[in-house]
Amino acid sequence: MASDKARIIVFGAHPDDCEYVAAGTGAKWAAKGHAVKFVACTNGDVGHFAMAGGPLARRRTDELAKCGRILGLTSVSLDNHDGELMPTLENRKTVVRLIRDWKADVVISHRPNDYHPDHRYTGVLVQDAAYMVTVPFFCADTPHLAANPIFLYCDDKFQKPNPFAADVAVAIDDVIEKKLDCFDALESQFYEGGCNATADTVPGDPAGKAARRKKVREELRAAFASKADKFRKQLEKRYGKKAAKIEYAEGFEICEYGRQPGAEELEKLFPL
Amino acid sequence: MTRTTGVLALWLAVVGASCASPGDVSPMKAPMPAPAQLPQDGKLRIIAFGAHPDDTELREGGAAAKWAAQGHHVKFVSCTNGDIGHWNMAGGPLAKRRAAEVKETGKILGIAQEVLDIHDGELMVTMENRRTICRLIREWKADVVISHRPNDYHPDHRYVGVLVMDAAYMVTVPFFTPDTPYLTKNPVFLFSEDNFQRPNPFTADIVVAIDDVIEKKLAAVEALHSQFFEGGANGHAGLVPDSKDETAWAARKKTVRENFSKRFAATATKYRAALETYYGKDEAAKVGFAEAFEICEYGRRPNAEEIRKLFPFYK
Repeated sequence: MASDKARIIVFGAHPDDCEYVAAGTGAKWAAKGHAVKFVACTNGDVGHFAMAGGPLARRRTDELAKCGRILGLTSVSLDNHDGELMPTLENRKTVVRLIRDWKADVVISHRPNDYHPDHRYTGVLVQDAAYMVTVPFFCADTPHLAANPIFLYCDDKFQKPNPFAADVAVAIDDVIEKKLDCFDALESQFYEGGCNATADTVPGDPAGKAARRKKVREELRAAFASKADKFRKQLEKRYGKKAAKIEYAEGFEICEYGRQPGAEELEKLFPL
Repeated sequence: MTRTTGVLALWLAVVGASCASPGDVSPMKAPMPAPAQLPQDGKLRIIAFGAHPDDTELREGGAAAKWAAQGHHVKFVSCTNGDIGHWNMAGGPLAKRRAAEVKETGKILGIAQEVLDIHDGELMVTMENRRTICRLIREWKADVVISHRPNDYHPDHRYVGVLVMDAAYMVTVPFFTPDTPYLTKNPVFLFSEDNFQRPNPFTADIVVAIDDVIEKKLAAVEALHSQFFEGGANGHAGLVPDSKDETAWAARKKTVRENFSKRFAATATKYRAALETYYGKDEAAKVGFAEAFEICEYGRRPNAEEIRKLFPFYK
């Protein structure tokens, strides 16, 4: 780390994934003046039941910009078709250049055994960029990093070949409303329900619409509350007795292919 | 002139109708893709993907025969044409021969068969192949999809596993491959049995006794002549008796039958505990031959009740 400010880059598959797994921690880092960037590796252009293609990609880009403003960070997407992200060399180079351009100390992505092919290949591409970001003559057009960043995985529920094991958990109670505001802004995905919804998902009347908005917010609130229970042990390690009262959390697992931080470094790096 | 104007007017009408005006971005006004119309015959629809024209027969031929006997709809897809799967023939002629062999097994088992025209040993994880698999699952309107695990021994097996995993969930996304009506329900995805241990061994979540259809399954094995009598890619001339030597052929047939009977019996032995879950201790002890399946995490996750609906073979 060049200064006391860390530089963090998070890769998600679709324009909402980084927010789902790391919006709280991202907002806390940003509030302390650290540099945080969220990158969706696809443009999300098949992520709706009734619209697709360029117009949906543009709409979701706007949704990300709103999230960026809410969280105080940069949230962008790459112009790859949704459902078509492949672990190509071209994509590996794109990811390497993004990590280098951001001069990242910390890189976060999905695990390569998450449920959606785009999630899995985001995980593969970011893993494949680890170490290579330090090799001077790989992507020689972009200055290499002298130190391999710390790579971490964000949380998922998949068990094979091995379950997610959080090495660090962050209480996000102080920023939970900001995180929930993001999903309000990611309207195409949550309020309208994305690709698996139907025309009946959103009611036609104003009262129904308001009720739908509230229901979505409360369901997400419950989902993020369940993470505090999932990571209670890791929270206890960091917060001691206060951990019992933590309501919302995010957890991260160290990837074996990046620099391996000691317990103290990890503790210092992640916001309390 | 009049004609040009007519075409232009038509073009304007079409383009005008399909473009939302600026500011009008309501998603509800965009044309909607159609979901697949599911047949209402009350029967299950199963599609199994194997790497070569013989893989599905060995791993789920028994369950397929049992489903088919109850009137359920089963389709086997070989993702390659098997055109290097022999020690002294290859290319188009072998592909044609193996397509005929699986067609014969389809008749024996009472199921549909399809062979994709992709070279043996050359199946890759491409978008084109992902779309092909996605369309096949959608067109079959599958409730259940079966494939190899992505850590099986042969690259074609592994990539079948990856391609099918990558089609899971995507089959439900309306605008992914929008030329083929999407499924509103993610099917249950299953892996067929293998012996590989890393990164994790196969788990027998579902085990099916196939004693009642073992003769059909062995008949299917026999129909796959190029592979099992002649030994496929690793065979040799010494395996194949003189065509006129009936005694030698009978002996060869006996050997093949015994070898495969042992293989299908080994599954029953290995997963006896899982058989007990489904059949009870007494019945399970009597099972001679079995097939086993693992539930993939990326499809719909059936509970015990739904498993019994999808595998209507248990009391």
